[in-house]
This record gives sequence, structure tokens and C-alpha cells, in this order.
Amino acid sequence: MRSLLHALILGLLGAGIVHIAVLFLVPEFSERDAWSRLAMASDLYKMTRLDAEAGGAPVVKSVDPLFYAAACRFDLTDGLVRIKAPGDVPFWSASVYDRSGHNIYSFNDHNANGEKLDAIVLTPAQMIDVRRDLPEDLQGAIFVEAPIDEGIFVVRAFVPDDSWKPIVSRFLEQSACELQDY
Amino acid sequence: MLKNAILTLLSLAMAIGLGGYSVWYALNAQDGVGAIRIGQWTAFPEVGTLAADPYSKARVAREGVLALGQAEGLAFVAERDDAGEPLKRECAYTIEGGYPTARFWTLYAADQSLGVIDTGKPRQSALQSYEVLRQPDNSVVISVGNRPAPGNWLLTGGSGKMYFVLTFYDTPIASSTGLSDVTLPRILKAGCNA
Repeated sequence: MRSLLHALILGLLGAGIVHIAVLFLVPEFSERDAWSRLAMASDLYKMTRLDAEAGGAPVVKSVDPLFYAAACRFDLTDGLVRIKAPGDVPFWSASVYDRSGHNIYSFNDHNANGEKLDAIVLTPAQMIDVRRDLPEDLQGAIFVEAPIDEGIFVVRAFVPDDSWKPIVSRFLEQSACELQDY
Repeated sequence: MLKNAILTLLSLAMAIGLGGYSVWYALNAQDGVGAIRIGQWTAFPEVGTLAADPYSKARVAREGVLALGQAEGLAFVAERDDAGEPLKRECAYTIEGGYPTARFWTLYAADQSLGVIDTGKPRQSALQSYEVLRQPDNSVVISVGNRPAPGNWLLTGGSGKMYFVLTFYDTPIASSTGLSDVTLPRILKAGCNA
């Protein structure tokens, strides 16, 4: 009887240890996280629609039905990445996520120059290089310093009603995500 | 000898079974660590940031969510009405009251996975603040149900559990200091189609 009790207590203790171990391992081994889902849908440096409007099931879930969104994956070890989109939508916002989907930095159209989306994501080390000799065409851009290698850039745009759908779709289709030379 | 082996097996099975199940259960529960409750509305301001707790980090990884950033907005989810009853898709509700400062907000009726519910009709089950009619005191009264209603009408349909998702965009309340004296609208049940 005593040994059974002993075994039960040991089992409960083990359950606690397993609970903690599994909890910390889930983010490491998840194959369903945002990065993996995007990787299945498209290549690096390619803007991909996240909402269902573009056909098929949404790539990443839980997007507001009154929003369209697009995302691209990047790898800062290749160089800096520049994201551009023309303005003229009621509201847009953008976020930089790291490899495991943590929001590193976010901003919206009121933070931008002339309401046009023009952002550059780079590491602090690349920032020092760029600052030394800032090219003319980068001067209006928003610089996002992110201490990461791989990451995801997401643009969300508000669709107030049906008449805005083509305009907002065009905004996201014209958005570009590319490696920038400097 | 055999008794010892069986007891060891029992401990191991308990550890792995209970440990695994408890993680699964904790990750599926709707509220959790780091939640902020205002009335029946729950928000997770820290979800998807580096400051988040291990449970929301695991949930983010498992569900592949890309959470809204602080400069983007903050989403509140309600799963019960003000009387404490779970929200049902076959019932009609009235959502009334004032809203905190934000550039605009959106409200939609969601299913269990927090995606917008599919009503099978061209009208979306979503409203936003630019299109709503307001009372003289700037508050908003929204009728929720599958029958058209005068004023602001949020279409729902079908049966089963329902959630309301209220998202504020470009809002000062997304920074945690602004959350202390925020009031959100009340959810009142208006009736049910049994």
C-alpha cells in the first residue's frame, strides 16, 4: 500500500516536470507556427496574402474580417530588406515579427512619411553601416532595427466596406518586399 | 519484482499522461495568464510579444497567430453576456454603451476558432465604427441577431457557441497605462429562438 502511494506521488511529481518540459518545447518544435505556414505558402521575400479573399483558406488565422493583410518572410543575414507600398487606403499598419512569431516592432500610417509605407528592416550592425553613408533614396524610409535573423513583415489594411475592397487589394498587391543594396 | 515494475510503469504513465494532458488543457482554455478583464471583455495585451508568459508563447506557436502590435491595436473577446450566460448564436443580443478612444474599432461575431462566423449571406457578420449610428451622448446601441433590426444591426446565424471580438485600432489603451479606467459596452440578452 505504501509503495503504491509512493508511486502515485512520484507520478504526480513527474507530471509536473513533464508539464513544464512540454510547455517550453512547444514553441521550439511547432510545425504549425506562422513561419512554417508561410513557408508552405510561398518563398522568402514574397508578399503573400493572409486573408481568405485571395482564394483558399487563410494562411495565418485570426485576421479581422474587415482587414486585408499580406506578409513576407525575410532573412537579414542576406542583407537589409525594404518593404514598400503606395498609400491611399483609410488605414494601414505594419508589424515585424521574429522567427517564432513575437511582435518586435509595429507602426501605422500616422507614423509614416506622407502616409506611404516605406520601411527598411535591418540589424543594429547593418544600421551602423547604413548610417555612415545614407543613400539618397532611403532618406524618407522608416528604419526598423531588429536584433533578429529570420523574420516576418506583415502589412494590414482596413476595408471599411465593400467598395474599398478593390482599392485595398491593389494596395497590398502593389506592395513589394525586396533585398536592398546599399 | 513484478510489483516494482508495475509501480514504476504506473508512475511513468501518470507523469507522461497527466503532464501532456495538462499542457493541452491549459493551451485550449480561453482565458489564461496575463489576461485583462473589463466587464465581460478579455484582452491579452502582452500576447505575441517577447514579454509574454510561456503559456501564451506556446499558444502563439501552436496556433500560428500573428498578434497585433501595440501601435496597431488591441482586441477584446467576450464569451458571456452581462448576466454571465455563454453567448449563443441562436440568441439575440443588444450591445450598448460608450467606447474608449481609438481611431476606429471593429466588432464581429466569431465562432470557436475566433474566425468570423459564416452566415451564408452576402452581409458580413462585422461592423465598424465609421458606419454605426450614434446616440446623442455618442454611445452606440447595436442589435445582434438573425432578424434585421433598425439602427445598427450585426447579423449572426446558425447555432452553437459564439464570441464577440471588439478590436480598437491605433489606440492609446493598447499601452497598459491607458487600460485602468476604460469602460467597454455591455452585452445584454434580448431573447432566444429556442
